[in-house]
Amino acid sequence: MDVTTAAAALDRLEQVYSSRPGTVRALAEQGRRVIGVVGADVPVELVEAAGAVAYRLHGHPDVLSAEAQEVLGASLDPVAHSVLTQVLGGSLTFLDGLVVSRDSQASLQLFYALRELRRLEPHRAIPPLHLLDLLHLPTEPTARYDEVRLGRLADVLGSWTGQPVTAGLTASVAAVAELRHLLREVSDLRRGPRPVLTGTRVLRVLGAAAALPTDVSLPLLRRLVDGAGALPALPQGRRVYLTGSAQDHDEVYVALEAALGCLVVGEDTDWGDLALSADVGGADLGALARAYRDRGPAAATASLPRRAAWTAEQVRRSAAEVLLGVVREHDEAPAWDFPAQRAAVAADGVPSALLARQPYRVLATDLRSALGSATCEPVLSGARA
Amino acid sequence: MTRLESALAATAYQREWFAGIRARVAAGEPLALVNADAPQEVLRAMGIPYVVNQWWASVVSARQRADASLQVLRDRGYPDYSRQYDAISLGSHFLAEDEAPWGGLPRPTVVVAETSGDAARKVFDLWDELDGTSFYPIERSSAVEAPSRWWELVPHRWEEAFGPERLDLLSSEIEGLAAFLEERTGRRLDLDRLAEVMDLVNEQAEWNRRTRDLIAAARPTPVAVGDTIPSVMIPQWHRGTPWARDAARRLYEEVADLVDRGAAVAPGERLRLMWLGRGLWYDLGLYRRFQERYGAVFVWSMYLAIAADGYARYGTDPIRTLAARFAGLTDQLYTPPWSTEWYVKEALSHGVDGVVHLVADDVPGSWFTTRALEAAGIPVLEVRANNADPRGDGGTRLERAVCDFIERRLLPSRP
Repeated sequence: MDVTTAAAALDRLEQVYSSRPGTVRALAEQGRRVIGVVGADVPVELVEAAGAVAYRLHGHPDVLSAEAQEVLGASLDPVAHSVLTQVLGGSLTFLDGLVVSRDSQASLQLFYALRELRRLEPHRAIPPLHLLDLLHLPTEPTARYDEVRLGRLADVLGSWTGQPVTAGLTASVAAVAELRHLLREVSDLRRGPRPVLTGTRVLRVLGAAAALPTDVSLPLLRRLVDGAGALPALPQGRRVYLTGSAQDHDEVYVALEAALGCLVVGEDTDWGDLALSADVGGADLGALARAYRDRGPAAATASLPRRAAWTAEQVRRSAAEVLLGVVREHDEAPAWDFPAQRAAVAADGVPSALLARQPYRVLATDLRSALGSATCEPVLSGARA
Repeated sequence: MTRLESALAATAYQREWFAGIRARVAAGEPLALVNADAPQEVLRAMGIPYVVNQWWASVVSARQRADASLQVLRDRGYPDYSRQYDAISLGSHFLAEDEAPWGGLPRPTVVVAETSGDAARKVFDLWDELDGTSFYPIERSSAVEAPSRWWELVPHRWEEAFGPERLDLLSSEIEGLAAFLEERTGRRLDLDRLAEVMDLVNEQAEWNRRTRDLIAAARPTPVAVGDTIPSVMIPQWHRGTPWARDAARRLYEEVADLVDRGAAVAPGERLRLMWLGRGLWYDLGLYRRFQERYGAVFVWSMYLAIAADGYARYGTDPIRTLAARFAGLTDQLYTPPWSTEWYVKEALSHGVDGVVHLVADDVPGSWFTTRALEAAGIPVLEVRANNADPRGDGGTRLERAVCDFIERRLLPSRP
């Protein structure tokens, strides 16, 4: 498809988002190496330097098998259930390898389960696996540890694709830096005084970029950013900043914007703005280690005060009118963060609401009730706002 | 009531010790609250009084104050349904003095914990908000490799078991912890003293290993798990002291004497059961009820078994050796295939007829544990309950499930 306008680029990226497995499978059928990744801690720079496409795996509430829930146990973030469902269901057999980051307990347990199933049941078509144990305390020992782990990942990727990462790292670091820069510009298109993108569309663009090689995504994003001035302005909506669980599908965004008339102006989660938070200062493993150690702050790996400060800053930056926390059952960290986030934004007069212990599929009526109860009061009396 | 003198002695010592802790803190000494997965031996060697978070949670639960403690957190907007085992101590800190067990836990000067799970460190971030309390977080690295039969590797070949990366990281963090504690308390870490502490811990672990081996081989079972838990766990909170080493030896001698005298928990023992998971702190009598009804005896709990296999580390560099104790402690219990191999090994060596597997919300790998045991020919009952939260009818439901398991799966296969 020849993409000549921002609107056409946007359409193309949204098409990719809604058909990610098929799009990536087609790339594999065209002969491209594809590495599945779980979590935002896996450096795309290394995957591309190894000559492969990084496909960030995602789930969906409609893709949940009883087997996956049984294997992982019900008390785990269902995103992991859904990814395991896809792997065990055979829909990801085109992957040349799967790198799981320890960005959350759900991801870690997903890795251990896959590794054990691959050992016990070799007939299953589970791709080669690797755990990236990348840690986040802001210390030198952690940076050194992360660098060793990234070095091991580079070796593994090279062995999977047959292309050592060393030769291509400078180019891939530059390409991914441009990718992040463009995606940040895309994300800003929803929060200026004249928003032209909804939060839903931003989420989809970011998701599509996490499934495409940079040689495909960059031209589309350049076209979108360069031509954004021609996109029509959106009608005014209540400006919502979203915190809580990372949204690996778009239903919460669609409900907030299409059904409730809001505009999601930002989020501190790993399928949104937080996925763009790494700034790599050089084309070597040490620079990558420091950038990914310091990325975030993600709920599962950052301190409570760091999260609150970051959220409050982003709420101010995006001129949000309300902070909404949507937290899935068994995604433990965000609910602990929320009281401090709430206090931090209340200091700026921004009300907030928490919708805790949510199922994978959140109901629009619950979102509406939560928004209706938003307040600046410092303490909630219950799990649900 | 326990039948073991060692358990009674340990319980009595614990009260005396805690009163001493309160007196020392009242006199101006620092206090540390540490999670069970943190390298407490550093504090021991530096002479800093400390309390283990999980022990205090068990005291609060045993005194029926867990619910009130969790309610405190709920009232402040925190999720009382998450990380309960880690969070009860924090909640109990806000109870009125006459409501807190044992006079209450004094406000700690420092809290130390690994960044385990997604949210454990959040609980300690909240401790850090208290005036005069500082949190030192330690990274929790994960097992990328899992060499077989960890229990044979970890005492001496721990570099092979955990890998140099994890040990480099934790060694550096232990050095950082020592510097942090020195700055906060003015006390210094003497490496010779740390080596002495490590020796005492190894001696304690060796006594626990002998006790475990004795119980595994004995028929009938000479001692109930509910009795051994305090005899094992209270000394565990005092690891690295002569008292703890001697307490472990006293337990061994007492069990050996019971074996010599042919003592039986249940005369006419018919079924040997394994309790897999944490202890049910609010209903320790549960373990006894099945022996009275069915002659079914719980012969194994992880507390003695992990004390026997999980802690001993020998090496010439005390800091790196200490890092080797903690780098993969939870992997030993919860990460397959490490955990599953070990549970099967323990079940077979104890000759159990069945396993009651307490599957807690925050304990991973349970499906593989059950599967490995069943594959080894050992029937497993999975039950779901929170071991520290008495709310709901978990105890009654659990008792019914165990009765059903015994009647349907275990008794029919008995001669």
